[in-house]
Amino acid sequence: MLILKLWNYVVGYLIIRVDGLSLEKFINLTISNGIFLWGIKRSGYTTMTACISISGFKKLKGIARKVRCRVRIVDKRGLPFLLVRLRHRKMLLVGLTAFLIILYGLSSFIWTVDVEGNVKVPEDKLLNALAKYGIKPGAFKKGLDISAIENRLIIDVPDIWWASIQLKGTKAIVKVVEAAQPPPMVDKDTPCNIVASKDGIIHEMVVLEGQPVVKQGDTVKKGQLLVSGVVEDSETLTTRFVHAMAQVTARTWYEGQAVYSLDKGLTQRTGRKVVHRFLDMGQWVVEYQKGDIPFKQYEVEERKVPFFGEGRFFPITMIVREYYEVEKLPISASLQQLKEIAQKEAMEDVNKKIPPDAKIVDKRVKYDMIEDKEVKVTVYVEVLEDIAQEQKIIVE
Amino acid sequence: MRKKLREVKTTVSEMFELPKDIMLNLPRISMIGNNQMLVENHRGVIEYTPQRIRLNSTIGVIRVEGQDMDLKNIAVDDVMITGLIKHVEF
Repeated sequence: MLILKLWNYVVGYLIIRVDGLSLEKFINLTISNGIFLWGIKRSGYTTMTACISISGFKKLKGIARKVRCRVRIVDKRGLPFLLVRLRHRKMLLVGLTAFLIILYGLSSFIWTVDVEGNVKVPEDKLLNALAKYGIKPGAFKKGLDISAIENRLIIDVPDIWWASIQLKGTKAIVKVVEAAQPPPMVDKDTPCNIVASKDGIIHEMVVLEGQPVVKQGDTVKKGQLLVSGVVEDSETLTTRFVHAMAQVTARTWYEGQAVYSLDKGLTQRTGRKVVHRFLDMGQWVVEYQKGDIPFKQYEVEERKVPFFGEGRFFPITMIVREYYEVEKLPISASLQQLKEIAQKEAMEDVNKKIPPDAKIVDKRVKYDMIEDKEVKVTVYVEVLEDIAQEQKIIVE
Repeated sequence: MRKKLREVKTTVSEMFELPKDIMLNLPRISMIGNNQMLVENHRGVIEYTPQRIRLNSTIGVIRVEGQDMDLKNIAVDDVMITGLIKHVEF
């Protein structure tokens, strides 16, 4: 029945009021003329309301005269009447069509390009390569030969093996698979030794080729021979030169330092702040909220907020500059915090020195007060790392 | 003669289990609860007030009594009555 209602709405119908003495006759006559009536309600002895289609109403005149009834339109419902009413509001229609055209127009452009799957290849490089073939924010979607661009991308960027470009709405999703680089060839013909690249205590040794000189638990210095490429056979008393290969894991130490002066002290935000806002439109920067800064000491924090939310392409960003009023903390209160901050800084310092494949085993922190003016934090970190280093043997 | 034809039709429809409403041109009445009633194959409305509806049919007048009854749909051969139906008489 919903479909029937919907159809009636689209075609349009009238609610009529019929006044007369012989309403039953009126009903019988209309239906026998093939006019469909619905929603008949009798509101009094001589009146009733009913719904009728527009075409049916046109045929009603003769019937009404025959049975001496008066038919009046109470209400007009449906889409045709709505459209007639809209005809008088031309600007609304203009706005509606303009909206639809703009919506359709803007949705036929690419507004964001997402690259997925790249680890080593920088995103900028891929984006530049894509932009060259027309996949960039603001590009027209139609007429892009996606499969050709995929192939060109693979040719242009040799570090990727496979690429797929998907246009989803206004978003271009680019998936790439990076090429796995083959491991470097081991040149087995040139004889070499394995020496220590760092000071440390040997934790584990896996010798693949060559004669081990040191053993687990030995302390070695930088440059010390670990595995010899000169192998002497005890039975035949011959000497062979081999390309020594070994994995030598050793405990090594790193230290990081940070010094903080106590009179610098620490500051704390009081909670008062002043916000300045700017609109960044590429070349022009428009300020629209600015005031005086009534604070003696303050910190500045600057943030950039995209105007229409994160990740959407729109050339306007908002720069929010927040000025926080700060006050100095007394030394006794700040010492503990200073230590924590200094320790964090020392950790960052030491983390820079530790190679990425090393495993941290132990960590110790030492605090030193220098003449009650400075605090010095030293962090000792013990790690396990591979210290094997090849060194060529020069055979005379 | 007419009566005889009718008898023949009845026996034939019973023999072949054909629906009688089509064979004998009888009204077909279906009700849902006591608030909806569909009368197919009627012969026009004799009386319609919210309390009483009388419909003409081949087997005589069908009288429906109730409260706040409306003719929801009406076409050449079917009527849909909605409202609170209390009596149906033939």
